[in-house]
Amino acid sequence: MPLFDSLYNFARWLTRDESEAEDLVQECFAKALRGFSSFTPGTDFRAWMFRILRNTFLTSRTGLRAKLTQSLEEDEAEGESVAVTWETPESFALASATRDALQAALERLPAEYREVILLCDVEEMKYKDIAEVLSVPIGTVMSRIARGRKLLRQALAGERKQSPASAGKVDER
Amino acid sequence: MSCPEWRDRINAYVDAELPPSDMAAFRAHAEQCAACAAGALALTESKLAVRRAGNRYTASAELRARMLSAAQGQDLAEAKAEPARIEPEKHWTGLERFTSGMWPRWALAAAALLLITVGLFVANRRQESKTLAEFADLHVAALASANPVEVISTDRHTVKPWFQGRIPFTFDLPELQGSPFSLLGGRVAYFHQEPAAHLIFQYQRHLISVFIFRETSQIALPASVADQTSSFRLRTWTQGGLRYVVIGDASDGTIQQLAGLLHFTQ
Ligand SMILES: [Zn+2]
Repeated sequence: MPLFDSLYNFARWLTRDESEAEDLVQECFAKALRGFSSFTPGTDFRAWMFRILRNTFLTSRTGLRAKLTQSLEEDEAEGESVAVTWETPESFALASATRDALQAALERLPAEYREVILLCDVEEMKYKDIAEVLSVPIGTVMSRIARGRKLLRQALAGERKQSPASAGKVDER
Repeated sequence: MSCPEWRDRINAYVDAELPPSDMAAFRAHAEQCAACAAGALALTESKLAVRRAGNRYTASAELRARMLSAAQGQDLAEAKAEPARIEPEKHWTGLERFTSGMWPRWALAAAALLLITVGLFVANRRQESKTLAEFADLHVAALASANPVEVISTDRHTVKPWFQGRIPFTFDLPELQGSPFSLLGGRVAYFHQEPAAHLIFQYQRHLISVFIFRETSQIALPASVADQTSSFRLRTWTQGGLRYVVIGDASDGTIQQLAGLLHFTQ
């Protein structure tokens, strides 16, 4: 996907609003043009653009609101194992989910996990570039990816158990 | 390494983020261990599913058109404000060129257009195109930088010797007198750790990059290619053990013409 389309797609996931996403992308390009001299050749150009886009979002009204209500899940999650447990059918829940179900699950994911998964899986960015976009250490990128994927798997596995017309309670853990 | 240890690193494995030796070690382990193999497979399939689901939104044609016309408007405004052209005869020193403000201003406008219309900065393409996309990155990054070239000269007899000792091969540059192209200068670039001569040419209001480096087996490029999938036009070929790549946002005919000049220099 060309850079423009990638940025727009990411902006829509961030803002969840069409006109806000359009404003965000336009502002991102305007900022990139003004700040071109600060781009370091040899570093990843896409990461640089995504970083501008995300920082612009964070200072927008929607972005500030999102930051205030950001969940504390990351702190709660500390110490919990995020190892892949593939002995269970849960591990394949994600691969076999429908596109709609997966999009709905991504929407419900806390923002800090959603963005890292989109950058890693959709944009196929390297960890070091994701760290650059998000201004966090690589270790944080790795733990968010592992935890985000686990949350997605659990959400989809839970949904599947639930789907045959309220047959039994959802047991996620 | 044992199973529990691999389990903590399996995300990094499917993201191809382990050191090469660990990537190989995991593959060897997975050949013996059905559980780890199944885990890696599940995660890989999940990644693909997320990629399909995450590619969800497409910008409207209106937004695309609005951004393009904004960039072109800027380009025109710059052109009017800066009618001066680079005289091929005049020997600009680096300081003169940059203090004259000529390069930075219209190079920025050109880069603005590229930024919006580029189709080559693509992650999920075939490997071949991915490699080609890297040249687009190098090209735009050079234009975008404050110092696009290290040696600034329109004279091939100045530029060619400058590369001596900086790159492990020599090459010839064509006589441009009477052609629509002018040489702006050169710099050393790196492509997959391989040092390359990076030359920047001007054609009207387009900047065109030429990369020359030693052909190695590690770099998978087709013998000859003309990429038409984006606003960049690209020509690449090998000649005397050297790989040539010509890339820019000028028309295909223009790129081909410059490629022809380089090709028949020897
Ligand atoms: Zn194992």
